[in-house]
Amino acid sequence: MVMIKSRPRHGGGPVLVGALLAAGIAASATAQPATPNLQGVWKIAAPTNSLKPVSGPVPFTAEGRKQYDENKRLQAKGDYDDYDITLSRCSNPGTPRLMLIPSRFKIWERFGVVTFDFEWNQVIRQVNASKLEPKEDRIGRRLVPSATGTAVGRWEGDALVAESTNLSERTLLDDLVPHTVDMKVTEHFRLVDPDTLEDRITIDDPTYFTRPWDAVLTFKRQPATLFHEDVCLDRIKAKQPAFPQ
Amino acid sequence: MRTEFPRSTLKGLGVAVAAALTLGAGAAGAQPAGPPPLGAGGLPSGGLPPLPGGASGGALPQLPAGGPAGAPLGGFAMPQVPPTPAEQLIAGLAPPSPGVVFPGPALGPDAPTSSADPRDLQGTWYHNQKLETRIQRDMYGELAPYNMEGAKVLARRVKSKDAGKPFVNASAICRPPGPLWQRDLNMPFQIFQSNDAVEFVFEEYHGRWRVALDMAKAPPPAQKDYMGYSVGHWDGATLVVETSDFKQALWLDVDGTPLSANGKLIQRIRKVDNGDSKPFLEVITTIDDPTYYTRPWSVVRTFVWNPRMTYFDEYNCEEQVGDPSTDPDAGLVPEPKD
Repeated sequence: MVMIKSRPRHGGGPVLVGALLAAGIAASATAQPATPNLQGVWKIAAPTNSLKPVSGPVPFTAEGRKQYDENKRLQAKGDYDDYDITLSRCSNPGTPRLMLIPSRFKIWERFGVVTFDFEWNQVIRQVNASKLEPKEDRIGRRLVPSATGTAVGRWEGDALVAESTNLSERTLLDDLVPHTVDMKVTEHFRLVDPDTLEDRITIDDPTYFTRPWDAVLTFKRQPATLFHEDVCLDRIKAKQPAFPQ
Repeated sequence: MRTEFPRSTLKGLGVAVAAALTLGAGAAGAQPAGPPPLGAGGLPSGGLPPLPGGASGGALPQLPAGGPAGAPLGGFAMPQVPPTPAEQLIAGLAPPSPGVVFPGPALGPDAPTSSADPRDLQGTWYHNQKLETRIQRDMYGELAPYNMEGAKVLARRVKSKDAGKPFVNASAICRPPGPLWQRDLNMPFQIFQSNDAVEFVFEEYHGRWRVALDMAKAPPPAQKDYMGYSVGHWDGATLVVETSDFKQALWLDVDGTPLSANGKLIQRIRKVDNGDSKPFLEVITTIDDPTYYTRPWSVVRTFVWNPRMTYFDEYNCEEQVGDPSTDPDAGLVPEPKD
C-alpha cells in the first residue's frame, strides 16, 4: 500500500465517557437496558461500495486527493494488496467500512458493551458504552492502531454515540477513500422506527479532508436466525471475491 | 454413544481416586472408575470446582517394559498391565509445553451478576485453568485411550513440532480451529441465547460456536462447517450439545491431539453457582471418535464469570497471514495425509 505521511498524533487518548446504563450494569446479564434496544439482525437497506457524503463531494485535501487517486490507479491495475487488504487478504474492513458490507449483522448488548456481530467472515466490532474499564492490555496490542480501533460509546437521548479512534490507515472508508491514523469517526445510531436503524457517520480527519463530513446509512431489521459459518479466505483460495457477489 | 470400561479398571480407579482427592470432588469412592458420568445427576450437585491447573497435563510417566508397577490400594494389589503399543508410543514423546493462565480482572462489588436462572448461560466467561497444549488425560487422570492410529497421528505432530517443523493446522491459516480448541484458548467469550439457539462469540479467531436448539429453525448447512454442526437440548439445567459433521479433521489442542472429520464431540455445559454471584461454567466434553480412540473419553474445563472482559481486543489474523512479505503458512509445513 502506498502510504502518505499523516500528521502527528495529538494527545488526549480515548476517555471512557460511559455514563449510561447505570441500572443495566447492576442488573443481571439478561436484563434489558433502559436505553433504546438496538439489538437484532440488520442489513443495509441500499448496498453500496461508496460512503457518500450527505451533501457534495468528499472534501479531500490535496494530500487526501493524491492518496485517493493513487488508490484508483491501483484498483484499475488490480493491485488490490497495495491499497485494499480486505479485498486481497480478507483483512478486517474496519470502521466505518464494515457498515457497508451487504450481508447481515447482529447487534448484541451486554453490560453496556455493544457488539456488532457480522455475518461476513464472522468479524466483530464493539463499542464500549459501559463503565467497564477495558481489560488489561498485557502485550500492548492497543498501542498499535487497529481496524476497529478504540470505540467509546455513550447514549445521547435515543442515540448511541460511538467515537472511534486509533484506526489503522491500512483500512479504507469504503472501497477507495483513504484515511490517516488520526481519523476520528463519530457515529450516531438510532432507531428511526422499530425496523429501521440509522447510522449517521461523521468523518473527521484534517490531513485528508478539509472539514468533517457526514454520511448516513440505513439498515432494515431482518428475521432472527443463526448465521452460517463464513470464512472469507476460503473464497480467496477458490479465486472468488472477498465479498460474495 | 458407546460405553466401554477402560482397559484396566483398577488402574483407572487408582488414578480417579487421586484425581478426585486433588479436586476435592466429594467422596472419592463415589466416582466410578469407568467413563465419566454424563447424566445430569452424575456429578456432585455443586459441580466440580475450578481446577487450578487442569486435571491433566505435564509429562507422562515413562512406562516400564513390564507395565506399571503394582501399588497397594485398599488392600488390592494393582495388576501388572503391559502398556499397549499406542501407550508406549505416546509415553516416548517429549512432554508438552506447560500452559499458563492469566488471571482476569477482579470482579469488584459493582460487577454485573449472572442471571439466577441456571438455564441462562449468557454473559462473559474466561478461563481459570491453564491452557493445555496437549490434553493427554481424561477428567479422571486416565491416559487418553489412543488407538494406534491416534497415537501415530499425535506422535507425528509432536515430533514434527519438536524438530522445528510444525505442521500447518487450521488456526495457523486463519481457519476455525474447532469447538474444543476454540474454547480452550486463554481468551474470553460471550454467550448469547434464545429459545432457538445458543451462540458463543469468542475474542479470537473470529470464533463462533453456534448451537441450534431448534433444528427446524437452524438446519444443517448445505456444506459442512469447520466448527461442525451443533445441536443442543436441555437435560435439567445442563445444556447437552452434540457436534458432528466437521468439514475436516480437527486438532483438539495445540500439539494436535486428533479428531477425525467423522468424530463427534458431546458437550455438557452447566452454570454452577454457589450463591456468591461468582458462577462458573463447567464444560465436560466427551470425545467419541473410533478412528483414533478405543472408546469415548471425557475432559472437563471450567470458565469463570467475568463481565469486565466483555470489551474484546481486536483479532485480525488475515492481515498478518496474507502479508506477501511473510510466509503464508507462517513457516509451518504441510502435514502428510494419512
